[in-house]
Amino acid sequence: MRFWNSQSIAGKLTRMNLMVSATALLFAYVAFFAYDLYTLRSDLLSSLGTEASIVGANSVSAIVFDDQQAAESTLSALKETPQVEWAIVVGQDGNPFASYARDASAKPVLQQSLAPGESRHFWRIGTKFLIGSRIFLQGKPVGAVYLLAETTALKESALQFGWLSAGILLLCYVIALLVTAATRNLVTAPLSGLAETAQIVSRDKDYSVRAAVPRTSDELALLVRSFNEMLEQIQLRDHEVAEARAVLEQRVQERTAELSAANKELEAFSYTVAHDLRGPLQHISNIAFLLQGMSAASNPEERELVDKLFEGSQRMSVLIEDLLNLSRATSTPLRRIAVDLGHTAEEIAGTLKAEDPGRRVQFKIAKPTRAFADEGLLRIVLQNLLGNAWKYTSKKDPAVIEFSSKDGAEGTVFFVRDNGAGFDTRYADRLFRPFQRLHSQSEFPGTGIGLATASRIVERHGGRIWAESTVDQGSTFFFTLPYGGNN
Amino acid sequence: MVSAISNADPCFARRGLIYAWARWMVAAWLCLLTGSACAQAAKPSEYDVKAAYLLNFGKFMRFAGSGQAAGGAFNICILGRDPLGRSMDQIAANETVDGRAVHVQRLGDATQGRSCQVVYISPFEAPRLREDLAILEGSNALTVGDTPDFLERGGMIQFVLQADHVRFSVNLNAVDRTHIVLSSELLRVAVSVEGKPNRGGAR
Repeated sequence: MRFWNSQSIAGKLTRMNLMVSATALLFAYVAFFAYDLYTLRSDLLSSLGTEASIVGANSVSAIVFDDQQAAESTLSALKETPQVEWAIVVGQDGNPFASYARDASAKPVLQQSLAPGESRHFWRIGTKFLIGSRIFLQGKPVGAVYLLAETTALKESALQFGWLSAGILLLCYVIALLVTAATRNLVTAPLSGLAETAQIVSRDKDYSVRAAVPRTSDELALLVRSFNEMLEQIQLRDHEVAEARAVLEQRVQERTAELSAANKELEAFSYTVAHDLRGPLQHISNIAFLLQGMSAASNPEERELVDKLFEGSQRMSVLIEDLLNLSRATSTPLRRIAVDLGHTAEEIAGTLKAEDPGRRVQFKIAKPTRAFADEGLLRIVLQNLLGNAWKYTSKKDPAVIEFSSKDGAEGTVFFVRDNGAGFDTRYADRLFRPFQRLHSQSEFPGTGIGLATASRIVERHGGRIWAESTVDQGSTFFFTLPYGGNN
Repeated sequence: MVSAISNADPCFARRGLIYAWARWMVAAWLCLLTGSACAQAAKPSEYDVKAAYLLNFGKFMRFAGSGQAAGGAFNICILGRDPLGRSMDQIAANETVDGRAVHVQRLGDATQGRSCQVVYISPFEAPRLREDLAILEGSNALTVGDTPDFLERGGMIQFVLQADHVRFSVNLNAVDRTHIVLSSELLRVAVSVEGKPNRGGAR
């Protein structure tokens, strides 16, 4: 069955034809042979019957007038019929009256006899036939004749016919095979062409090939034509898709170019603005500082106004610094090196403590905390995260601020944890957008730019930043950096 | 030899029917007791055979031209003192020849033989044989006889006893003077045939 299944259609067709022809011819042979046997047998019986009738008719007078010699001379004519072994003429009384034997030494013995009223009967004795035929004279039975015939001739001619017809049928079989081989291509050539084409298409994804269409107008031609049409449509669609993609690609490139140009312009603009604002602001700040000194003794109202001026200029300075940081975070090229962020964090913590020595804050900084990143930019990130932690724990005593890292699937995960005010996690996604703040300026002052800057820096490193928090329990800010050397 | 018939056979004698039948029964019993020694025991007598022949002659003859009108009875006549006895009647009973019922007639005088198809002239008629034949001449009757000079005197078929078998000789010259045509089958089994079959005239 496996062999059968693995064959090509051409092989299957051949095999099918072989089997069909063989079956048909075999049945034909059997039928012919059986028919021939039957015909030979009935021919033999009918010729024997005729022989018996003639012998009987010629023996009537001999029987009636008791002339044994005449009867035997009639019977002796049977020597012209070689298959008759012996013959016996029986008189009216049922006793043998005259006999003939081909082999003179043989003594014919008659064991069968016709039943009364029966005019003819055949017996089969081994391989021989015995025929009994009643002899009539003017409608009255006067005796009977019995012939024993051997069937060797029958067997021989059956055998001869068997061989002959076997030979003829074999010849027919061979001719059928040749015809099959000659006509097989009519069916298989288009099919194998189709299969080959399909194989090329599926292997090379080449939809430009076409199967040869047979010149006939049958189902095969229809199949091949449909297949070709399908290929053409696929090709057409492919072409359309490629065109559309090219147009899209071009459009995307154009848009990207436009966008990045606009972005650069914007950045350049904001950087310039921030940078150029710093000079005049410094003047204002300086003057405000001088005014504070000069108006130390003047009235409290003046003093308050000067303080507010100085405070405002300071805040604006911070804001400008933050904006410049944000701008730098976007535009400065990355210079990654192996760096101990624990060391950086400690430096920042030192600065924070120095700025407000009155607070009791416990820093837990893991050292070393290694990363592969731009040191300057990561310093900005940590300044923002630790600064936030410092700021939002201002109402806790003692405040605890932790910085550490752990290994994660995307890279090293760094985190800054505090036990400060926390925030509502529903707004967690707003944290990292510029100028978005969850707390009021009076509660916790800030520019709303710091986390946006940190997020941008982490993203530029190929990492991710997020935060978890519980209100009044504290918050944890996570960011990931890819493992060193990968990028 | 089959169907041998012999007067010397102890089983046979020419007697009346009942007597013959009784003897046949005895013979049959003897045969049963002694095996196949008397295989021919049931064989008919010479006159039984002759009676059967008279009937069968009728079946091997026909009448050419207007010799005899078709239909009517087929008469087998016995002229003179009858030696055949009842066996003739028995054999002819319910028999037909060419579809005609067979009747047996016993004639005292040859002149009565005009309506006969077969006339058996008894051996007892030997003294008057010539006259009888002359009378029957032209009557289209097949004349059959026993006497040795039957054919020479103008008879047509003469019974001959040959090797215990009843056979017959034919005088075609006599037959040809009538419209009777004898079948070649019949002539084939005749002991001798005088004259040549007349293929033309009578047919």
